[in-house]
Amino acid sequence: MVRRSDITRRSVIRGAVAGAGALAGAGGIAGMVAARKAPAVIQTGGTFTYWGGLIFSDAANSVLQSTIEEWCRSNGFEPDVVMINQNETVQRVSAAVEAGTMPDALDLGLDLALQLSSSGQLVAVDDLYETIGAAHGGWFESVANATAPERFGGSRVGIPFGASGNILFRRMDLLEEAGLTTAPATWQEVADQARAAQQPPATFGLGFSLSNVGDGNVMISIMQSYGGRIADDAGTTVMINSPETRTFLEWVQACATDGLFSPSNTTWDGAGDNAAYQAGQAVFIMNTGSVHIGLLDSDPELEEATGYSPLPDGPMGKISPLNPNIRSIPTTSSQPDAARALCEYLAMPAYSEQYYNSAIYGPVLQGERGFAIFSTEVHGALLGLVENGTAPAAPDQFNGAYAETSTTFAIPRMLQRMVVDGMSIDDTMAQAQTEIEAIYAKYV
Amino acid sequence: MAAIGTARPPVPSRPLMTFARRNALWGYLLIAPVILTLFALIAYPLGFAVWIAFTDRVVGLPGEWVGLRNFRYLIDWSSFTRAVTNTLTLVIVTGLAKLVLGLGLALIVNEQLRGRGFFRAVLLLPWAMPAFVVFLTWRVLFQPLGGGLNLLITEAGLMPFFEWVGIARTGYIDWLGERALALPSVIVATIWRGFPFWFIVLLAALQGIPGDLYEAAKLDGASRIRRFLDVTLPSIRNSIFIVVLMSSIWTANSFENIWILTQGGPSDATMILPVLSYFGLQNQRLGEAAAVSVAILPALLLMVIVTTRLIEDDE
Repeated sequence: MVRRSDITRRSVIRGAVAGAGALAGAGGIAGMVAARKAPAVIQTGGTFTYWGGLIFSDAANSVLQSTIEEWCRSNGFEPDVVMINQNETVQRVSAAVEAGTMPDALDLGLDLALQLSSSGQLVAVDDLYETIGAAHGGWFESVANATAPERFGGSRVGIPFGASGNILFRRMDLLEEAGLTTAPATWQEVADQARAAQQPPATFGLGFSLSNVGDGNVMISIMQSYGGRIADDAGTTVMINSPETRTFLEWVQACATDGLFSPSNTTWDGAGDNAAYQAGQAVFIMNTGSVHIGLLDSDPELEEATGYSPLPDGPMGKISPLNPNIRSIPTTSSQPDAARALCEYLAMPAYSEQYYNSAIYGPVLQGERGFAIFSTEVHGALLGLVENGTAPAAPDQFNGAYAETSTTFAIPRMLQRMVVDGMSIDDTMAQAQTEIEAIYAKYV
Repeated sequence: MAAIGTARPPVPSRPLMTFARRNALWGYLLIAPVILTLFALIAYPLGFAVWIAFTDRVVGLPGEWVGLRNFRYLIDWSSFTRAVTNTLTLVIVTGLAKLVLGLGLALIVNEQLRGRGFFRAVLLLPWAMPAFVVFLTWRVLFQPLGGGLNLLITEAGLMPFFEWVGIARTGYIDWLGERALALPSVIVATIWRGFPFWFIVLLAALQGIPGDLYEAAKLDGASRIRRFLDVTLPSIRNSIFIVVLMSSIWTANSFENIWILTQGGPSDATMILPVLSYFGLQNQRLGEAAAVSVAILPALLLMVIVTTRLIEDDE
């Protein structure tokens, strides 16, 4: 007689849940144990100052701040964590470098890291970069390239975290009304769909910033996808005045002539596209994801009607720059060993998964790929960006002259001259060529 | 005959310093702390900024003397020329408008009106509010879609008129996005923020004019306009000079108004020197940033000298 099995469906489920719970618990405990083991702090005591970069997610900011504070206390330091609006990082850091009051470690964008590394302000962390990579399945190739030593004077000057980049947001409801159901694959399709779906003056097709803010520089990527270049492969000879830039400018001019751009987009501040989209005034925007976070709270209905897709291709292919943030240690840090240990600690899943759950960033380490959040639509798109995105500035060279071209908003201002002043394409290119040549001449 | 000895009177020991000199030295000693403080707070930073403007200093590196290179770079930069023109326009137009508005309101509030205290308080509000709040509010008012000004114009049924004269596009006016409107819009916001300072200083000056001057003018048969031209204006001339000087310096160095409203755009239509200097700082190129600021110094210095001379002449 075959003995009837005591295993029922319910007991299997119960067992599975218990097992999962045990695994999760063990994982948590293991994580905590690992977390305790991780920071090999040699020297303790005193104040540890960290400047974190504020992002749009309060939850993510809070996780970062409390984690560092907790880590400091458990390692015998008095924490001094200052969260800085990322629009003010350059000023704060510049003043601190001049005054000799840099923190022990800080979050940086690559532009500023490039400038600081060129004046020898950042500690080389190549060994730490290797150690962390080895512990978490290796770095994504795009992240490794973006922070490659050759870009920063021969060394790694920071530990990457949180890859940022733009994705295309679209109003699916308005597009469907116009019979358009698929995401545009090219910039020309974006313009065509915008033309079909916009309902001015209530809604305009392209909520793209052409103003003197960072968002305006995304237009450089579109120009590059049309084959336009700031400079040659060596990064020394300016090449704005080219047939490829002309094609790009013709596309912009057509969009402007057809009234596709949102009004005032030439003077928007950093939140201009966010505001226009959240007010329902734009069909397409390019955004890093902050709009998504805003919509989840403020307008779930609009969030539901929003589609997310990678930046489209131009005639020369896709240019979708990936910009990982980095944690750097200034050469003036009074606690360099502690700063290294903290960087190592913050790369651990026990913290990083919690952070990514609320931040709008793509992963940087292969080990982070499995985090549940990266299977959701927006974060999945960011994972796609990490897997397929291009290096910062590519195909141009990311050097000091390129950084200055970006921070003086030379390309958005070139577009303003054409769109606002009605300058001809030839004159627009010629003036931009002269202006950017003057910048590059300073770096020869 | 014995000669009578004439004992020479003792020569009084000569003091090391005369009374006047001692007094002067004592005076110098007393003002030394102030001089030193002024030097530390004004002369040193100013001198240092001028020095940096002639170097290629970047953040973190000392830099080397490059002579006029930074200034040559600026002169060749089209944005710099535009910034100089815009800065001058902003200073002159806002100055004149604030004079008219401030003086006009001060004259009204100086009269024996009911609720004069209330009006004074209300008129000071724009000056009392933080600048960034003021300009953010104006930014909202200037919004092309849903902005206060456009709503007002639409509600008043005036939009078709603005469309007809070519100021408005279909259904909206792009106050900050159109070259022709951007600087005037910024000027309006800047005047609104700044006129209370003129108002309060000129009101104080008006209240200091002795009433018998007006009485005498009246007895002489002077009309209201003559009394204004011959009594009021000469009496508040010095206050006007001082306000012109201070307000011009503040406006020439203003940043929030432009940065919050337009960031210098569109197409440099509102670019001014402080914003251009900020771009230099963003690049950490302290030499160039300082050169932009130093470039306006001769004009401001000239204004200070002329105004001081006018005030001295008046006295």
